[in-house]
Amino acid sequence: MSIEEGVKFVASAYAIILAVLMIYYFMSARRVRALQRDVQLLEDEAKRRQGPAGGAGAE
Amino acid sequence: MKKLVSAPALFAEAGICLIVGLLLGFWWAPVDASSLGFSQKIFYYHAPIAETALVAFGVAFVAAIAYLRTGRLTWDRLSYVSVRLGLLFSILVMLTGMIWGKAAWDTWWAWEPRLTTFLLVCFLYAAYWVLRSVVDEEQHRATYAAVFAIIAFIDVPITFFATRFLPEGLHPVVITTGDTGMEGSMLVSFLISMLGMTLLLAALTRRDLAIEKLKDRVADLKSTIGG
Repeated sequence: MSIEEGVKFVASAYAIILAVLMIYYFMSARRVRALQRDVQLLEDEAKRRQGPAGGAGAE
Repeated sequence: MKKLVSAPALFAEAGICLIVGLLLGFWWAPVDASSLGFSQKIFYYHAPIAETALVAFGVAFVAAIAYLRTGRLTWDRLSYVSVRLGLLFSILVMLTGMIWGKAAWDTWWAWEPRLTTFLLVCFLYAAYWVLRSVVDEEQHRATYAAVFAIIAFIDVPITFFATRFLPEGLHPVVITTGDTGMEGSMLVSFLISMLGMTLLLAALTRRDLAIEKLKDRVADLKSTIGG
């Protein structure tokens, strides 16, 4: 096999590796951000619900 | 020290090692003199990805045993994340291996020991995935998954040693006892890429564990609010 032919196969292999790893990296980074946002929203909601009840309990 | 093993630092370290390993593999290491020729350059990521996939399955195996001994769900999460990453790396190994096979031996696939046992590993861990999705109760799911991860791991050493015990297949044995079968520059490039892939696995494991932790926190908060 000539080097020119070999280059095509090698480039394809590295392109697949790069693409798959980058997609996984960015998808997981996005998932972390989305979950952090959910946690923040739910914590705020939990505090909001506890707030009046806690206040009523104190009275 | 803590900063060096944080997920962002691990990603950066992995990236540096992988880029350096690749550059050395292409510009320092010579073109392989055997029939593999230029296509041998695929090896600098293909082999480290394969080894890393097997390491991930090894981690899943150890974490599964730890879960069965302690019952702590943290071990189940580590086992699950390791299987997921092991599968990701295995898919990459299969794809790059097929491309390399076509370039070197003019065939996309051959039913020979290494390829067949590696495909079996992929199917086994894909089944682990299916198993987890069909069991609802958390402790039961973790227990079944742990037992399955331990059984599935039996194929990992078989895959690793397949080319050594059954050398008649197409797949070459790269590193044998006392002889790497590689020139010094090839070996250095390979080892740096290997370090890079291992660091990448560590970084992805940390991030995926963080995702699992956040999912647990969301579930807890939802049940708190719901209750």
